[in-house]
Amino acid sequence: MNLVLSSQQAEFREEVQAFLQSELTDQLRIDQYKTASVYPEPKISGLWQQALQRQGWLVPLWSAEWGGTGWTPVERFIFETECALAGAPLVHPMGVRLVGPVILQFGTDEQKRHYLPRILSGEDYWCQGFSEPGAGSDLASLKLRAQRDGDAYVLNGSKIWTTHAQHANRMFALVRTSTEGRRQDGISFLLLDMQSPGITVRPIQTIGGDHDLNEVFFDNVRVPRANLVGEENRGWDCAKYLLEFERGAGIFSPRLRSQLKRVGDALREQIDSGIPLAEELPARFGEVSADLDTFEMMELKVLCALSPGETPGPMSSVLKLRASRLKQTIAELGIEVLGPESLRWQTGAARNADDTRASPALLQDFLNSRAFTIFGGASEVQLGIIAKTLVGQ
Amino acid sequence: MRLTLTDEQALIESSVGAFLIREYDFIRRQASLQAPHSCNPHIWRQFAEMGWLALTLPEDIGGLEGGCFESGLLMRAFGRHLVLEPFAASALRASPILASHGRPDQRAEWLPSLADGSKRAVLAHEESAKPLPTDLRSTTARRNGTSWQLHGSKQLVHGAAGANLLLVSASLPAGAGHRVFMLRPDTPGLTLRPVRTSDGSQAADLLVDDVQLADVDILGEDVDATHAIENACAQHLVALAWEASGAMQALQELTATYVQQRNQFGQPLAKFQVVAHRLAEMAVCCEEALAACQLAALSIDAGVTDQLALAAMVKSKVGRESRYVAQQAVQLHGAMGITEEFPVASYFRKLTAFAQQGGSTTAHSRQFGNAMLRTTGWAFSRTLVPSPAFGQRVSA
Repeated sequence: MNLVLSSQQAEFREEVQAFLQSELTDQLRIDQYKTASVYPEPKISGLWQQALQRQGWLVPLWSAEWGGTGWTPVERFIFETECALAGAPLVHPMGVRLVGPVILQFGTDEQKRHYLPRILSGEDYWCQGFSEPGAGSDLASLKLRAQRDGDAYVLNGSKIWTTHAQHANRMFALVRTSTEGRRQDGISFLLLDMQSPGITVRPIQTIGGDHDLNEVFFDNVRVPRANLVGEENRGWDCAKYLLEFERGAGIFSPRLRSQLKRVGDALREQIDSGIPLAEELPARFGEVSADLDTFEMMELKVLCALSPGETPGPMSSVLKLRASRLKQTIAELGIEVLGPESLRWQTGAARNADDTRASPALLQDFLNSRAFTIFGGASEVQLGIIAKTLVGQ
Repeated sequence: MRLTLTDEQALIESSVGAFLIREYDFIRRQASLQAPHSCNPHIWRQFAEMGWLALTLPEDIGGLEGGCFESGLLMRAFGRHLVLEPFAASALRASPILASHGRPDQRAEWLPSLADGSKRAVLAHEESAKPLPTDLRSTTARRNGTSWQLHGSKQLVHGAAGANLLLVSASLPAGAGHRVFMLRPDTPGLTLRPVRTSDGSQAADLLVDDVQLADVDILGEDVDATHAIENACAQHLVALAWEASGAMQALQELTATYVQQRNQFGQPLAKFQVVAHRLAEMAVCCEEALAACQLAALSIDAGVTDQLALAAMVKSKVGRESRYVAQQAVQLHGAMGITEEFPVASYFRKLTAFAQQGGSTTAHSRQFGNAMLRTTGWAFSRTLVPSPAFGQRVSA
C-alpha cells in the first residue's frame, strides 16, 4: 500500500486545481460558505453546474455518450476533494446523480433524448417524491395511488420531506399502481411536471429555521403514461438502482472536510479576537480531526477497491452511518466553539448579507445536521444491514 | 496511490498469520506467560528466523527495510494472538533508534546480535510522571569533566527485564535537549525491578542512582537526541495501535460467534436487535481503527515529517474505538466475559493497557488538536500525498 499519487494522478489534480482557479468566483465561494442547509439555493448551485458542464465534468459517472468522463475512483476522489477544499458549491444531486442515471439505465430512447439534455443544461430542476407520511424508512409501504385512465395515470395522495419542491419544475416519484402481491411489486417510477393541475406544495419549516422541505399534495393529477420509467409495477428496481447508485457515487469526506474548515475558521476568529479557548476545545478538536482523517482513509479504501460501475455493498452502510454521525459531530463542535454566542438566532433574511464570517452559519448547520442520520436510510437501518453481514440473520 | 497489499506485504501477513495459528493459540500462549520475562526463547528464535527482528533494519546488515506499514501488519497479527514477547519494544523501537542514531561502531557491535535474536535491547524512556513521550525527561545527565553522571528513574519499561542493553534517555540541564545512554544491566548504580504488567507481559522499573558514564556510552554523537527519540516513540505508538486493532478485530469476531451460539429467552442473542446493532457498531469501530492505523503508517512511510502528530491521531482514534469494542465484548459475553479462562478478559486487559501506554487517549487527542490548531492541518486532505497537512511538529 502507499498513498503517494502517481504522476498521472498528480497531473489530474493540478488540472482540477487550475480549473477551480479560473472558474470558481469569490461570490460562489462565499455563497456556498454561508450555506447552512443541506443544499445551496438553485441560483448558487445552478451557476456552478453550468461551469462544470462547460468543462465537461458535470456527470462523471454517466456513459461516455452522454457526457461521462470515465474517471477512475481515485480521480473522482481527487476531483471532489479539490472542489470541496476550494469551496465550490454543491451541485444539486437530484438530476445529475439520482434521476439521470435511472433514465440512462431504464428509460426509453425518447425519454433519454428529452430529459437528459435538460438535466445537463440545468433547464430542469428535479425533486424526489419518495417518502410519504406513512412511508419513511419502510419505503415500500408507500400509498400514493396512480390509477390508469386512458393514456394517463391519475394520482391521488401525498409526498413529504420533498427537498426544494418549491424550486423544482420536475419530480421523479414512486407511486402505487397495484395493491396485489408483494408490496414492492405494485410500485412504479414516474416522471412528472410540477406545474400539473392538482399539485399543491406546502412548505415545512425545519429545525434550522429555514425552508428546504415540503409536503406535496396530489389531487387527481394526470400524468401521461409515456412518463413511466421502466415497466409498470417494477419501479422498485429503479428505486433500488437509484439508492445503490447514490450510495456508490456519493463521496462524503470532501464535504465533511470543508465543514470542519468552517469550524476551524470560527476557532481562528475567536483566537484572533483574543477570546481564550474553552479548556476542553483542543482535545475535542483533536478527536474530531482524527475522526475525519480516519473516515477519509476508510472511504478512499472502499472507493479504490471498486471497479467501474460497481457499488460498495454493505460497506456503503458503514460509510453512510459514519459520515452522517461525523457530520453531526463536526457541527456540534461548531456550536461548542461559539459557546453562548450560539444563542443568537439569525436565519435567512436576519443574517447580514455582507457578513462573510463562518460563525453565523454554525448553529443552523448543527440543527440541520440532525437530519443526516435520518434521511437516505436512518442509522438504525444501516446498523441492521451491517449486522446482517456479521451474523447472517 | 495503491491501497491493496503488495505481494511482499501479503506474504508477511499470511506468514505471520499462519505462524501464530500454529504456535500461539490461547493455550500455547501459556508457555510465554510462564517463560522468563514473558519471552519464550523458542518463539523469539523463530521471530529471528522469519527475519522479523530485522524487519525495519537496513539491508546491509541483513534487514528487510520494511516501513511502518509492514511493522503494522505484524503487530496486528500479534494483537490478535495477544503475543507477550517484547517485539515492539525491541525490534520496532530500540533497534531502529540504534540503527538511525547510533555510531558505526555501536551499530556493528549490536545490530547483528539484535537481528539474530541472541541479544535484546530496549529504549528506557518511560517515566510515569511524564506520560507523553514528548515530555521533557526527569532523568538527568550532567557532564562532569570527561564523564557523565546519570540520575533518575524509569517506570514500566516493557521488555527491560532480561534485556542485554538498556538505552536510557535523559535530559540535559539548561534546555540542551536529551541524550540516550547505553547501559548494560549490571552497570553499578543501576537497579532493575521486574514488574508484571496487566496485559501479561513484563516490564521493569529502573532506578538510576548516580550512574557514572563516559562519552563513549552516548548513543550516537554528543548531540541532541530529542528528535530521534520522538520519531522512535511515534513509530512505536503507531505499532501499538496496530496491535490494538488486531485485538479489537479478534474480540469482535469472538463476540459475533458467541451471540449466535448463546441462547436466552428461547433464541440466539444475535436475534435481539439491540445485540445485533451493538455488534454492528463494534464492526464499524474495527474498520475505523484499521483505517486510522493504515493512514498513520502510510503517511510516515510516505515521508510525512510530523510523526508525533500522526501518532497522536492514531492513539486518539484507536483509543476511543477500542474502548467501545472492549467494553461491549465483555458485556455481550455476559459472565463469560469476566473469567480468566476465556480469552475475552485478556483482550480487555490488553486494550485497557494500550489506552494508557505512552499517554492517555485524551492526552493524545489534546496533543493532536493543538497540532492541528497551530498548523491548520485540519483544512487539507490527509490522504492525497503530497499534502500541506502535518507540515509542522507537535509539541505540548
